[in-house]
Amino acid sequence: MQKEMVAMILAGGRGTRLESLTAKVAKPAVYFGGKYRIIDFPLSNCANSGIDIVGVLTQYESVLLGTYVGGGSKWGLDGNNSLAAILPARERGEVGASWYQGTADAIYQNISFLDQYDPEYVLILSGDHIYKMDYSDMLAAHKEQGADATIAVLDVSLEEASRFGIMNTDADRMIVEFEEKPEHPKSTLASMGIYIFNYQKLRSYLKADAMDENSKHDFGMNIIPAMLNDQSKLYAYEFQGYWKDVGTVDSLWQANMDLLNDQDLDLYNTKKDWKIYSEDSLSKPQIIGLEASLKNSLVTQGCVVNGQVEGSVLFENVYIGEGAEVIDSVLMPGVLVEEGAKLNRCIVDEGMVIKSNERINLDSDKVELVSR
Amino acid sequence: MARVLGIVNLHSHVSLKGLTNTRPVASVSFLGRYGIIDFVLSNMSNSQIENVGVLIKEKPRSLFKHLGNGNSWNFNSKSGGVSLLYNEKFANEGKYNHDINNIKENISFLKKNQEDYVVIAPAHIITTMDYRELVDAHIKTGAQITMVYQSVDSADEQFIGSDYVRVKDGCVQEIRQNKGNRKERDVSLETYVFNRETLLDLISQAETMSSFFDLRDILAYVCDERKIYAYKYKGFARNINSFAEYYKVSMEFLDMNVSTQVFKSTWPIFTNTNDTPPTKYLKNAQVKKSFIANGAIVDGYVEGSVLSRNVIVGKDAVVKNCIVLNGAYICPGATIENVIIDKDVRIQHKTSLNGSTEPLYIKEGDIV
Repeated sequence: MQKEMVAMILAGGRGTRLESLTAKVAKPAVYFGGKYRIIDFPLSNCANSGIDIVGVLTQYESVLLGTYVGGGSKWGLDGNNSLAAILPARERGEVGASWYQGTADAIYQNISFLDQYDPEYVLILSGDHIYKMDYSDMLAAHKEQGADATIAVLDVSLEEASRFGIMNTDADRMIVEFEEKPEHPKSTLASMGIYIFNYQKLRSYLKADAMDENSKHDFGMNIIPAMLNDQSKLYAYEFQGYWKDVGTVDSLWQANMDLLNDQDLDLYNTKKDWKIYSEDSLSKPQIIGLEASLKNSLVTQGCVVNGQVEGSVLFENVYIGEGAEVIDSVLMPGVLVEEGAKLNRCIVDEGMVIKSNERINLDSDKVELVSR
Repeated sequence: MARVLGIVNLHSHVSLKGLTNTRPVASVSFLGRYGIIDFVLSNMSNSQIENVGVLIKEKPRSLFKHLGNGNSWNFNSKSGGVSLLYNEKFANEGKYNHDINNIKENISFLKKNQEDYVVIAPAHIITTMDYRELVDAHIKTGAQITMVYQSVDSADEQFIGSDYVRVKDGCVQEIRQNKGNRKERDVSLETYVFNRETLLDLISQAETMSSFFDLRDILAYVCDERKIYAYKYKGFARNINSFAEYYKVSMEFLDMNVSTQVFKSTWPIFTNTNDTPPTKYLKNAQVKKSFIANGAIVDGYVEGSVLSRNVIVGKDAVVKNCIVLNGAYICPGATIENVIIDKDVRIQHKTSLNGSTEPLYIKEGDIV
């Protein structure tokens, strides 16, 4: 069954800087925003962009991610010609057991999956970014320019630019040079790790790259430079809107707080065109008690709130006892905050119990991760 | 385990005023995120009944949409599942539009499925009944028909217009209508178990009696010639048979002692879901004793109320003792008390609306 474009989501990373939050799950499966997991964003973007075959490439702690993604029905990717397929690193006939050696190698090892759909274009995505984006607009730009590859970029500040892969372009946004984390950036167009390739072109570069023993098998370090070297037509596609790579405990906390303070990421779908789909649990409605006080917060179904909650994000089945104070915090599913407990600027991991006499991180301006 | 076919019977005479103008009672929104039918379907699913027919009386659009292929209630989408049984022939024929005619129109559902027993239950009586216990009792007594009742001491206020039974030696002697003239009654929960062959037989018998006989009539008629076993149910039951009861029962659920009887982790209440984001409470929100569904955005004062999905309550708005259905908008500064607001209503003027002992009702999509 031929498809114009197939998406491949790179979801194998551990996200070490998220500390114990990724002790048992891959980064794309980390909770975000009161009811989501991070991978809901690229998967929903695919579904809303009309892409109906999505490969999800997993490696680190892939079991939970695999059961979560299932066949893709949570995102509506469950028609007869539609699916989300988990593609773990695995034992393969010709080479035996093999881990994914890099982002490019992960795609290379799944060429047979892509070949099934004989796509004209392949969309490469990262499973750990939070944003809403219409990939069909990016594809239209790619076709219009007759590009071999199009790379989505974000215009960042000059200070931040040194943390990213930077695209130096000509006046038509054709990429003339790629610099990974440059000390003295010449441009502020940062790669978002979102690529559209003409599939046959990509396929040949991946094959060549796989033969190269000195390659790191990485899109940014190897494939893109090789294509530039061959005078291929690579274009930058500028994305405007909210985009966040939640790589650290601090940035995960900040991204959650952004939902309370920032209208850029509209989860409420006020324009009626772009829902973020997720797992809808069977929890009961949330119950707000007589003594509760709730301000500037996100609270999802299954929660029981009897205390004070301000500037916080509560995932399902969180219980807040009477007289408890939860300020500027993110409480993952099933957290129990006993009567009178107080916490400030915390991320509290799934299922933790905060005892009534606990006072955590009060008067601090650093974020504290509370976990086992 | 016994093989059991489930039938949800929507042929009741219940109407909830404006709420049931465009939809059946079964798909009226309840507690912010459910349809009333979710409770009986969840009971069937939790009781491991895998094959369920829904006898639809009227206004099927919202039900078709809500039920889909039934996989939201955990029914397998390949074997069993939910069958929507709609009686097109008699849908607009008043007295002919009853459950027996519906079953006759869809008789293949009873004939093609080979389960030994059939459980029939209504949607508007909310219970957490485990039908496995009921069917076990039915088998144990050797009954062909079992009828479920509950002993109540407020039959002068609730279950008005429903049936009550007189029970002797574990059998139903008489079935009559509750007119509210006594407090203590054994009221019918309109829930029955039949041997499948017995049900087919009863349907044929009803036809010979009267074209207007429905299931309640034929059971009342045959109870002195056939043995109908009486099964006393002692669990949670509320009858949403009027607009006033819909409001009263909803408000009752705000009491944790009531809601915890129904919402238990061992007995999930399934519903189809909508991918709405968490509820957002803004800087001026003040919320007490309320059920709030996902997708709502609250910046005002809410007390003793049920807010459904995607409801917006503006700054300085006051919402007290209200039920607000999906997508309604309450503008900043408006005050509403004892009001039931239907879907997509816009309160866009800084007005004050007050219901009395009976709540005020604002129609779907109205602008106030």
